Amino acid sequence: MISPETLVFSLIGASIVLILVVVIRPSITASREGKIIAFLALFIVPVMTAGVGASEHIERSEQTQFCLSCHIMEPYGKSLYVDDPAHIPAAHFQNHRIPADQACYTCHTDYAMFGTIQAKWEGLHHVYVYWFGTPMNPIRLYHPYNNRECLHCHAGARSFESATHMAMVDDLKSNKISCTTSGCHDTIHNVDKLGEAKFWKPLE
Amino acid sequence: MRNELRISGVLLIFGLVVEALSLCWNTALSFMSFVVIGGLFFASGILLFLYSLVSSKD
Repeated sequence: MISPETLVFSLIGASIVLILVVVIRPSITASREGKIIAFLALFIVPVMTAGVGASEHIERSEQTQFCLSCHIMEPYGKSLYVDDPAHIPAAHFQNHRIPADQACYTCHTDYAMFGTIQAKWEGLHHVYVYWFGTPMNPIRLYHPYNNRECLHCHAGARSFESATHMAMVDDLKSNKISCTTSGCHDTIHNVDKLGEAKFWKPLE
Repeated sequence: MRNELRISGVLLIFGLVVEALSLCWNTALSFMSFVVIGGLFFASGILLFLYSLVSSKD
């Protein structure tokens, strides 16, 4: 099976070869076939290759490594290693309740129609602000955290079927009670208190 | 027109090289390099080629 990365690099290589044919021998455009080759080499193929490259970059932007590549996100990455089972992001990350290589994206995307597009659009906005604007300090979410993102995985799970959850399930679904601020699961990244925290060191 | 084709081709090759290099890393910087630098080379190369087509007297 060819990986998307191999496909992109092959496409880039093929595009360069095709363009070089036109650059070295522009006289080929005198014929009709040559004009078609030039059109393919200098328009269709580069547009296609750039599109595939953009798609690959957007796909990669879901990875934890990508999110943590911005200096401002370092403490949030560090908070994933806090040695405390009550620490919600750390417990999810360390126990692989979410894919470890897509930890940020899994919890911070919107599980709604067009949610992926919205999450990626907001991600582009983050990158734009990081490079060309002034990021918020401290970082805040644009909207209060929606219970829908928690319930996407937890609703229907055995661990969720406790009497406490069942008594308030409608309020949780309608966001009248937040999973994170109701005093139940309110230990989130807590980056201000990382200095006092103990950290988990994964085995090599 | 031939000269414009050459310049257009070279610009596009630069764009493709930037794309290839940006894919060697998975960071916000590589993504921005692809969008800003690569995008600029791609756009200028393609626009120059299209301009050469409409302004050609051949």
